Amino acid sequence: MEGDVVADLVKQLVKRILPSQANVSEKSSSNGDHRDTVGERAYQYAMRIIGSRIAPSLASDEVAMAEAIKRQLVLEGRSSDALTFADLHRRFASLSGPGSVENRWAVLYLLRAVSEDQRREGVETRGTATPFTSTLSGPAALGGLQALPKSAEHPKLQVPHSDSPSPSPSPKNSLRNGGIRPSKSQSASSDHGHQGGVLILSKDADNVKSVAIREFVEISQVDLEVTEAALVRDVVYACQGIDGRYVKFDKEQDGYVVDSNVKVPKATRVLVRRLCEVGWLFRRVRNHISESLEDGPLEAIGTVGQAFCAALQEELGDYYRLMAVLETQVYHPIPFMSGGVANNGGNYLSLRRLSVWLAEPLTRMRLMAVLVDDCKTLRGGAMAGAIHMHLQHGDPLVRSFLKRLMRRVCAPIYEMIRRWVLEGEVDDLYGEFFVVAQPVKAEALWRQGYQLQTSMLPSFIPEPLAKRILRTGKSINFLRVCCEDQGWARAAAAAVATVRASANGGGGLGYGETEALESLVVEAAGRIDRHLIQIVYNRYKFRDQCLAIKRYLLLGQGDFIQYLMDLVGPELSLPANTLSAFKLSGTLESAIRASNAQYDDSDILDRLRVKMMPHSDGDRGWDVFSLQYDARDPLTTVFTEDVMARYLRIFNFLWRLKRVEHALSATWQTMKPNCLVARLSAIKGDGVKSELTVVLRRCQTLRNEMNHFVTNLQYYIMFEVLEFSWANFLEEMEVAHDLDELIAAHEKYLGSIVEKALLGERSQLLCKTLFSLFDLILRFRGLADRLFENAREMDARSQNPTKQRAKKDFHIATLSGRKSSMSSLSGDFLATIGEEMDGVAVEYSSLLEGFIAQLPAQQHVDLKFLSFRLDFSEFYTRQHMSMSTTPLKFKRTPLKL
Amino acid sequence: MDGAGVERAREALNLAHAMASIINSGLDRQTLSILIGLCEHGVNPEALATVVKELRREAAAIESTSKSKD
Repeated sequence: MEGDVVADLVKQLVKRILPSQANVSEKSSSNGDHRDTVGERAYQYAMRIIGSRIAPSLASDEVAMAEAIKRQLVLEGRSSDALTFADLHRRFASLSGPGSVENRWAVLYLLRAVSEDQRREGVETRGTATPFTSTLSGPAALGGLQALPKSAEHPKLQVPHSDSPSPSPSPKNSLRNGGIRPSKSQSASSDHGHQGGVLILSKDADNVKSVAIREFVEISQVDLEVTEAALVRDVVYACQGIDGRYVKFDKEQDGYVVDSNVKVPKATRVLVRRLCEVGWLFRRVRNHISESLEDGPLEAIGTVGQAFCAALQEELGDYYRLMAVLETQVYHPIPFMSGGVANNGGNYLSLRRLSVWLAEPLTRMRLMAVLVDDCKTLRGGAMAGAIHMHLQHGDPLVRSFLKRLMRRVCAPIYEMIRRWVLEGEVDDLYGEFFVVAQPVKAEALWRQGYQLQTSMLPSFIPEPLAKRILRTGKSINFLRVCCEDQGWARAAAAAVATVRASANGGGGLGYGETEALESLVVEAAGRIDRHLIQIVYNRYKFRDQCLAIKRYLLLGQGDFIQYLMDLVGPELSLPANTLSAFKLSGTLESAIRASNAQYDDSDILDRLRVKMMPHSDGDRGWDVFSLQYDARDPLTTVFTEDVMARYLRIFNFLWRLKRVEHALSATWQTMKPNCLVARLSAIKGDGVKSELTVVLRRCQTLRNEMNHFVTNLQYYIMFEVLEFSWANFLEEMEVAHDLDELIAAHEKYLGSIVEKALLGERSQLLCKTLFSLFDLILRFRGLADRLFENAREMDARSQNPTKQRAKKDFHIATLSGRKSSMSSLSGDFLATIGEEMDGVAVEYSSLLEGFIAQLPAQQHVDLKFLSFRLDFSEFYTRQHMSMSTTPLKFKRTPLKL
Repeated sequence: MDGAGVERAREALNLAHAMASIINSGLDRQTLSILIGLCEHGVNPEALATVVKELRREAAAIESTSKSKD
C-alpha cells in the first residue's frame, strides 16, 4: 500500500523532472525507444536509491536545520532573504493538524540538499570566483542544468548506462553519451551554452580561464585523493582509538599515521601524525584501564587502583563527549569572514582547527598517560602518593584536573583511615593501607600488633599525623582486645559529632582536606586516648601497680624487707639446689604478715611471688633468690618481659646491697662496745690480750669505713635514685595523654634507675668493682665473726675460774697448763686473723679508691653527689695522691707493730 | 480530507515553495508537492535529494545529447 503510493509518486517525479523527453520523442521516432528506456531506467534507479540505506548523518533536528539554512543565506550576504526564510519557516512550522506537513525536518533537509547540489553545480560550472546569484530560479534551472557529477565522490551512484565505460577517476568521463567524447574545452563551453539560458556567457576568453581554474582544482583534488574532510573524520576516529579509512595505527612507528599508499602532502601527514598523538595516548590509557579492570586479578591493583581506573574512565567519558561534538561539527560548513562559503563543501573542522580543539584534551590525555605509566607498578597509598607528586605543578589546568582525579583515587584510602580511626578495623583486603596488622598475642598487641608501612604512606599525609592515626586505631584495638571495653565506641561517636559540628556540615573526608582529616584524627585520638588512659588508671590501677613494684621489687617497703631478710637469711646461706621455692613462698607470706605490707591490697599481694633463678653448682641461696611481680594482662603492655627482667636486675642489686648492709649491722651487733670487749681490754700486761685489742680495733676501723661506704651508697640509691625517679615518673604520669606517652614515661623511669644505680652498659666496670667490694665486705664479716667467736671463747675461758667455780674440780688440774696453751693458741690465731684482716683492708681500700676514682668518669651528673658523699672530707682523694709516693702497705703497717 | 485540511495543505505547500525558491533549490510547485508527499511517506530525504539530483543530471544529459545531435 505504502510502497505503491511511493512508487506512484516517484513515477510522477520522474515525469516532472524529465519533461524534455516528450519533445525528444516527438522529434524523432527513433528516440522513442530510447526515451522509454531512459524513463523506465530512471524510475528503477530512483526506486533503488530510495530503497538503499543512504541516510543523513545528522540527527533529525528541524530547528538546527533551519538555522543552518539561515546561516548559509546570511553567509551568502542575503540577510533579507534569511529573514524572509525565517518568517516562512515559522509559519510553516506553526501549521498543524490534518493536511499540514508532519515531517518538516525531512522537507527542510531535502530542500537544503537540493539547493546545495544546485549551488555546487553552479559553482563548478561557472568557476570558483563566480558568486552565487539568485538568477537560477526553479523552473529556469530545471531543464538546463549541466550534468557534471562528482563521480569520484559517488562512484556507486552513477547511472548505469549501457554504453558507459567502467568508471574512471576523472570526473570528465561522466560526460558521455552515445560514445561522443568532445574535447574538454569544447564540452565545457558547450555546457555553458546551455546554462539556464540566463547566464550564457558572452566572453569566451573569460570562460576559458574559469574552466582552466576549475580543471586545476579538480586535478589537484585528484592528486590528493583524499579530501581534508575525510582526513578530519579519520583523525577524529583515530583519536578514539579506531582505525579510520586512511589513518591507521602503525605498529612499527608506534602511532597513527596516514596510510602510506594514500598520497597526501608531507605537511598534512605530519599534522595528522601530531594530532593523532591524542589517539595514541588514549589507547594507552584505555588499555591500562581494561587490563587492570578486566584481565588482572583484583588483588593486583587493589581498591585504590580501581578508584584510579574509575576516575580515568570518567575522564575518558568527558573526552568521548568532546569527540562526539567534534564529529557532528565535521558536517557543518565552514564560515568565512569574507562572507563566502568554502568551496568544495569545506567543513567547519579542518585539520588545523582540530589541532586547536584537541590542544586541551591532549594535555589532559598526556597527563593521564604519564600517570598510567607511573602507577603501573604502584598500589595503594604509594600510588596515591605518586599522583600527589604530580600535583605539584604550576599549571592550574593540570592542578585542577589532578585534584579531581585525586579526590576519586583517595576515596578508598580516606575510607580506610576513617574506619581505622573510628572503628579500629583494618579494612584493607589488598594490603594498601599504611597501617599493617600482624597477628600477635594480646600482650604484644600494642607494641608489635600494628606497624606503619612507610611505603604505603601517601606523601600528603605527614608522618606525625600518620603516627597519630596509627595510635588511635591501636588504642581502639587495645581497648577491645586487651581490656574488653566498649566505651571507645561512644568516644569515637562523640569525636565524629564534634568534628561535624565544627566543620559546618562538611564532615566528609576527601583529598585536599587534610585539615578536616587532621581535626577528625586529633579529636578521635584525644577522646579515645583519654578513655584508654582512664581505663588503665582506674580499672587496672596502673599507679598502684607501679607503687607496689617500687615497694616490693625496689625495696621501698623497708620493714617488709627487713623481716624478709631476717627470715629468709639463714636459708639462703644454704646451697641453691637444696632450697625449696614453696618454703620460701611461705617465708615471704610470713614476712608480709609481719610487716605493714599486710595492709596492702590483697590483689597486689597476690601478685608477689618468690622466684628462683636458674642456678649452677656452688650457687648459694643468695645468688638465686628474687622476688617477682606478676603484672597481668593489659598491663603487660607496659610491664613487658624485658621490663620485668630489668626490674629483676635492679632487685638483685638492691637485694645484694641490702644483704651487705644487713651483714654489717649484724657485725656491729657483735662488735659494739660491750662488757666482753671491755673486760678483754681491761686485762693488761698480757701480750696476747694487747694483741687482741689491736686486732679488734683494726676491725672496728675497717667496719666503720665499710659502713660509711655502704650507708652512703644505700642512701644514694634510695633517695637520689629511686625516689627522685619516682617523683619524676609521677609527674609524667599525670600529664601523659596516651598509652605511648605512659610507656615512654615508664621506660624513662626505669632507664634512669638502671643508669644511675650503676647497672647500665657504661658502668659495667664500676658495677664489677662494686660487687667485689660487696664480696669483700662479706668476707670481712666472716672474719669478724670468727674473731669475735674466738674472743668470746677466750673470755669464757678466762672467766671460767671466777664465774664457774663449780666446775673447778674438772679444770683445776690443768689450769695453769691450759692458760699458757690458750694464750699461745690465741696468739697464733690472732696473728692469722690479723694478717687476713690486713689483706682485706688492703684490698678493700685499693678497690674503694679505684671505685671512687672511676666515679667521676661516669657521665651521669647524679653520680657526682655519690662521689661527693663518699669522699666528703677528701680523705680518699688525698690518700690517692699520697699513694703514688708512699706504698699503701707501708702506711697501714704501723698498726701491726 | 475536509476543506480546512485542504486549505492547510495548500498553505503548507505555498510556504514550502516560497522557502524552496528563496534558497534556490530549483524545484517547482508540483515537484515540491510530490517530494513532500514522499517525505510524508517516510522516504529518506537524503535519498530523495540524490534522486532529484540524478534525475536532473539525466535530463541535462539527454538534452545535451539532443542538442549535440541538432
